[in-house]
Amino acid sequence: MSGPDGDGVSNTLHMRMLERKVLILDTQIQELKYQIVRNEKKAADEKRRKLESKFNQKFKQQRLPAWQPILTADTVLPAFFLIGLLFVPLGAALLFFSHSVQEMELDYTDCKSVEAGVSMPCSEVIRKSNFTAECTCQVNFTITEPFKKTVYLYYGLDNFYQNHRRYVKSRDDNQLLGKDITSPSNDCNPFGMSDGKIYAPCGAIANSMFNDSLTLYDAGKDEKLKLIKTDIAWPSDRKIKFNNPPGKLNDSEAFKNTIKPPYWTKNVWELSDDPSNNGYKNEDLIVWMRSAAFPTFRKLYGKIDHSMIGFKFGFPKGRYYLEVQYRYPVDSFGGRKRMILSTTSFLGGKNNFLGIAYITVGCICLLLGIIFLIIHIKFGKRAVDQLNINQNTPYSD
Amino acid sequence: MTTQVAAEVRARAGAGLGAAAGGGMGGQDYRTVFLNEPQPFKYCSNAICTAKYRYKLLFFLPMFLFEQFRRYANIFFLIIALLQQIPGVSPTGRYTTLVPLICILVVSAIKEIAEDIKRHRADDELNKREIEVLKDGQWQWIKWRHIQVGDIVKVRNNKFFPADLVLLASSEPQALCYVETANLDGETNLKIRQGLPQTSHLLEARDLMSLSGKVECEAPNRFLYQFTGNLKETSRPTVPLCPDQVLLRGAKLQNTNWVFGLVIYTGHETKLMKNSATSAPLKRSTVDRQTNNLIILLFFLLIVLCLIMAVCNSQWPAELHWYLSLDDLSVFNFGINFITFIILFNNLIPISLQVTLEVVRFIQAGFINNDINMLYEENNIWAMARTSNLNEELGMVKYVLSDKTGTLTCNIMEFKRCSVGGNVYSMSDGSVQDLIVLVESGGPGSDMARQFLIMLAVCHTVIPDRDEGRPDSAIKYHAASPDERALVEGAQKLGFVFETRTPDCVVVDVLGTKERYEVLNVLEFTSARKRMSVIVKTPDGQIKLYCKGADTVIYERLGDSQQFRDVIVRHLEDFAGEGLRTLCYATADISQEFYDKWKNIYHKASTALQFREKKLEDAAQLIENNLTLLGATAIEDKLQDEVPETIASLLKAGIHVWVLTGDKQETAINIGHSCHLLNQGMPLIILNTDSLDETRDTINRHVVEFGEQLKRENEAALIIDGKTLIYALTPDLRKDFLDLCISCKSVICCRVSPSQKAEVVELLTRETGSVTLAIGDGANDVAMIQKANVGVGIAGLEGLQAACASDYAIGQFRFLARLLFVHGAWNYSRLCKVILYSFYKNICLYVIELWWAAMSGWSGQVLFERWSIAMYNVLFTAAPPLVMGIFDRSCSAETRMKYPELYRESQSGSHFNWKVFLWWVWLALVHSVLVFVLPYFSMTQDVAWGHGRVGGYLMVGNMVYTYVVITVCLKAGLETDAWTWVTHLAIWGSIASWFIFLLVYSNFWPVLPMAPDMAGIYLQVYSSPVFWFGVILIPLSCLLLDVTTKTMQNSVRKSLTEQVRESEISNKDVSKVLDTKHRLSETARLLKNVFRRTTTRVNLEVELAHGYAFSQEEHGVMGQSEVIRFYDTTQPKPGGM
Repeated sequence: MSGPDGDGVSNTLHMRMLERKVLILDTQIQELKYQIVRNEKKAADEKRRKLESKFNQKFKQQRLPAWQPILTADTVLPAFFLIGLLFVPLGAALLFFSHSVQEMELDYTDCKSVEAGVSMPCSEVIRKSNFTAECTCQVNFTITEPFKKTVYLYYGLDNFYQNHRRYVKSRDDNQLLGKDITSPSNDCNPFGMSDGKIYAPCGAIANSMFNDSLTLYDAGKDEKLKLIKTDIAWPSDRKIKFNNPPGKLNDSEAFKNTIKPPYWTKNVWELSDDPSNNGYKNEDLIVWMRSAAFPTFRKLYGKIDHSMIGFKFGFPKGRYYLEVQYRYPVDSFGGRKRMILSTTSFLGGKNNFLGIAYITVGCICLLLGIIFLIIHIKFGKRAVDQLNINQNTPYSD
Repeated sequence: MTTQVAAEVRARAGAGLGAAAGGGMGGQDYRTVFLNEPQPFKYCSNAICTAKYRYKLLFFLPMFLFEQFRRYANIFFLIIALLQQIPGVSPTGRYTTLVPLICILVVSAIKEIAEDIKRHRADDELNKREIEVLKDGQWQWIKWRHIQVGDIVKVRNNKFFPADLVLLASSEPQALCYVETANLDGETNLKIRQGLPQTSHLLEARDLMSLSGKVECEAPNRFLYQFTGNLKETSRPTVPLCPDQVLLRGAKLQNTNWVFGLVIYTGHETKLMKNSATSAPLKRSTVDRQTNNLIILLFFLLIVLCLIMAVCNSQWPAELHWYLSLDDLSVFNFGINFITFIILFNNLIPISLQVTLEVVRFIQAGFINNDINMLYEENNIWAMARTSNLNEELGMVKYVLSDKTGTLTCNIMEFKRCSVGGNVYSMSDGSVQDLIVLVESGGPGSDMARQFLIMLAVCHTVIPDRDEGRPDSAIKYHAASPDERALVEGAQKLGFVFETRTPDCVVVDVLGTKERYEVLNVLEFTSARKRMSVIVKTPDGQIKLYCKGADTVIYERLGDSQQFRDVIVRHLEDFAGEGLRTLCYATADISQEFYDKWKNIYHKASTALQFREKKLEDAAQLIENNLTLLGATAIEDKLQDEVPETIASLLKAGIHVWVLTGDKQETAINIGHSCHLLNQGMPLIILNTDSLDETRDTINRHVVEFGEQLKRENEAALIIDGKTLIYALTPDLRKDFLDLCISCKSVICCRVSPSQKAEVVELLTRETGSVTLAIGDGANDVAMIQKANVGVGIAGLEGLQAACASDYAIGQFRFLARLLFVHGAWNYSRLCKVILYSFYKNICLYVIELWWAAMSGWSGQVLFERWSIAMYNVLFTAAPPLVMGIFDRSCSAETRMKYPELYRESQSGSHFNWKVFLWWVWLALVHSVLVFVLPYFSMTQDVAWGHGRVGGYLMVGNMVYTYVVITVCLKAGLETDAWTWVTHLAIWGSIASWFIFLLVYSNFWPVLPMAPDMAGIYLQVYSSPVFWFGVILIPLSCLLLDVTTKTMQNSVRKSLTEQVRESEISNKDVSKVLDTKHRLSETARLLKNVFRRTTTRVNLEVELAHGYAFSQEEHGVMGQSEVIRFYDTTQPKPGGM
């Protein structure tokens, strides 16, 4: 193998070139190997990650699928029209129901005493006697349109703040529960105790219980209309919240060691003749104890007994009068007292508001719908489309 | 001369110490460490703790409570809770504030504990690292935290020093060792430390055991470059110790197999820990601050409201209303009433806001921690939110101030290209092979190529290293200059392998044949000279000078008629354009006579007592002359992955990127080019001056030059030197300097110290009021990271200092984009929504009390049941804001990454400002009016059932409350951009929870002794058709306004985000929206940018344009020319057993 010198040189040169190529290839192989190792590691990692629960994974990567509502004229349009089209008839229906309710209101605050020789308002009579005297007064009224359903008798008070903070809390629910309490809650003060005796019931609410007696008379027949005084309070209140203490309803057993609230004329066990409607379970008391929301309010006084002749299908038209045992003073704070006769719909008393509100909102929705429709037609082309003008975009005149 | 003085100073300091030592042991001023003996004092443990609550459970409660009650809101609620205890004052019972407050504190505590546990874990990771310690004559592995003062430790190559050590001996000759301090001061080059000659012989455990005596040193302090001490070996003279013998915690051993060190400071007493303020400053986000202002505003509103209520109350004629029987109670007391109203309205300030925010932020931080797209797979480093208080601040960043080394670059240099004989040879495309072929073929130009390659392999101060006992293993190169290492490695790849260094010669394997070059002289590199040379005797006896350096200095010294002069200049420009670091290479043949003459001059110079440096420079000047140009090299300072792309998108997002580096100007500018922060042709304003006056003149001149364009963004870059920065930051120049900075697109500060970095950040933050983000990886960035609004640390494999001091730690710079564009923008918009919504929902509910107060005699009665409202923020409306803060997102992460323009919206703070806040308050008021007035009118006749019974105030109250809950929950839905199933669950679930609560709660009495007033209410509410008709009508009519305005906005005046979101949802091409916009802004910018600047410093500019850069330690303990004389790599190194 002893070739010429030149050959040897070129051979060694060639060899070296090859060696270097091998070296380069080697490094490339190394790199590839490294990549393989890395990929394997990656794959293992991925596998581990896949094992993790899907939710956890998506949660952590903030990739939970999501509904992404877009609020633009065209997307809200249908909803607005739909609401409008639903609400307007609904409101009309509500108005119809409200109109079907019949109602008669009678303000008797200033009614005059019926007693012969006394020609002043009952409010003055009782004030002059320092709220000890009783005063009877009568107010006439006419029903021109017969009431066709069950008729409820309410008394209403104006400018009377049953929702005053001091007033609302001035009661002891444990006492009313019929529990044997030795001292009433501090909330009852100053109507908690007096001379070691507990006010039954204690507190300002009970103390100021409405105590006018309302009686309706048929003016033609001069006949007293019968009122049902039970089932006027909420059953839950009657069953749960108000209970008499054990024993007979008198001052020696159930109400021993108690006295009547200062403004009361009767004891709590004398509120009614019906033993199941007496004491703390007296429904007038229960109704009163539920504080009203607003300074003008009404409370259920009784239901017309529809078993009376002529009242089977409601309240016949005719002339009537209301007789009031006037005891409750309201003129000091400018209050008013009302008697209300009303039927109900399934929505309750007469109130057009809800129907009007539905119709108004429905109309607003329709109006907005139309506005959005106009906007959609004018601006509706999404910005994207507008900006995307290319050679094929036709010129518009 | 200087060294002598220094030695003297050292000796004196030593003597002083010695004298003081007599006074007392272990006093305040100095510390005595006994060698191989137990220490008489117990020093600080080496365990470090950066956690907030250091002593775990024992002190947790008081510390936690202290932290919590530093917040105004919590104090406020505590006071409310206390006020409620006064009998008869509270309208809502005694515990309705206390219970939610405790709930909220418990949740906060859980979050704090969870975060602290994380910090403890991070500390543990450090504390549990292992190190070899000499114990009973043997090396034992122990954990870092068990290291004590006086221990002798063995640190191996590439490992961090576990504590502050005094260097005793090393594997290298003369107890030399290389230390990388990038982590401490950010400098790229390695530093040399040298042990005392008295200890350098202690190469084995045996020797170390025999050591006895003591080391005296100053008490622990924070000065990194200062150290005085004495080594007093028994029966030997005292030797002074200086900073050259000290190895600091945080630094890393490099190029040295091992060192032995004596532990002198441990744990929190190390200089590193003394420097990093152990308690990170409490940072608060912009949104947080704004929120606090809003809370204070609301507080005043509350006071005003309560005053009005109290006045009305006193004017109300309660005495007329006999049934109230108020005359015998002290209700007319104005003050008591006032307190009552405060209690009534206290929740106008949302009690749950803080805790909602904390929970939301905590989970958002979890998202950051778990984001797989921010996982640096190489090292398995996940992003980490170390604080969650700044999540939303990430969405508002205006300035990013970045460190260079380790943050933008990997601190790896690579030989990329060279220009020889008029051709460019590149490593990446394999064209270097042609160079070898050229050399081997011996054709024309081969001689020059060969010379060039030999020069690469010879002209340097690198030291080769082979593994012991394996002579054929790969050679490792140790160099103080990373550039040189890259060059030698490059030569190695080209077949010119630098193999051996002995004190007087180097051996190079030239394509298989070994050639021996005798190194006669090394003319060292200094930054003034910008070049280094070696004088060698070639194997054939010729004397040659090889000189490499900046093109400016080399070109000055070239002989006449250089063949490739212009070609190489062109190549240099190309290299520099790519951001490569360039060096020029030249050689000269030197005759023996000239050399002999010169040698004498040089010798004299090197032994001169005065002006040695100057004289040496002059001597070098003599011989570095009449050079022949060989070629040029280009080295890549390797950028981290995707750095240019990330910077480009940051710029697109309207974020200004500033680079603050400890490195040299040239290097910094190179990097500026390679990461596209600077581009060719961009005017550079270079501030590099030596005096205050000069700085003032320059700054003023530039300010005038900008003229109209001042304070607007211009296509210009400002480069300032650390020295000039000192002047620029003086109070009277500060303002102008900042204006100048703001006028430039980017700013590069080079050669700045850690404290200067912090100063710049502080100035920028304070003066512009914009949100700044500092990002860095080393301990030198800690100050800056702590000063910036948001500090981001790069958690590399090395050093966790920056990461530990940061608010967010990420694996690589490129993740910054995702952190800001996705997490930042999302979190910002989420959090703004949560905050506004929290205010909204409370105003909406509580203002109803005001409307009702007008109807209840201003008595302060609550319309709702007390526990129902107490639960409002805790139960019924707690989930929607939480879910909003966690799951809401507008635009997908991909879109946000692809179109950084979307970031501008959150950056400008458009989601949370007075206007937006007032709009929400207005909505809340409208809703509260509607939600109260509509039921009021529907219930005027009190009868809402067919059976004619009447409801009480709680019937109305619960109706209104139901409507509020529904409205408020649906409002949350309306504000949510993305409804996940969790969102559905939260919104419908919250509404359902109220219905269920009402049902259950009204059955409590009398079985449970609470809520008698609610007994049976559910029957009243649920059986009323009016109620159900209201359920449909009222929330709908409330939200009608919101839906309409939102729709109007989206239809007529759509925001960019909304447009993108829509196109994305309807699967249209998002780019269409953005590209058009972008094009417009581009032209706008072109139109605007008429600004051109004249260049002044021609020479510097040329140099910059040619990309010269080279880094090496200067004025170290020992010059490189001396270091290489100690090495004989043919000799085995000591094993250090």
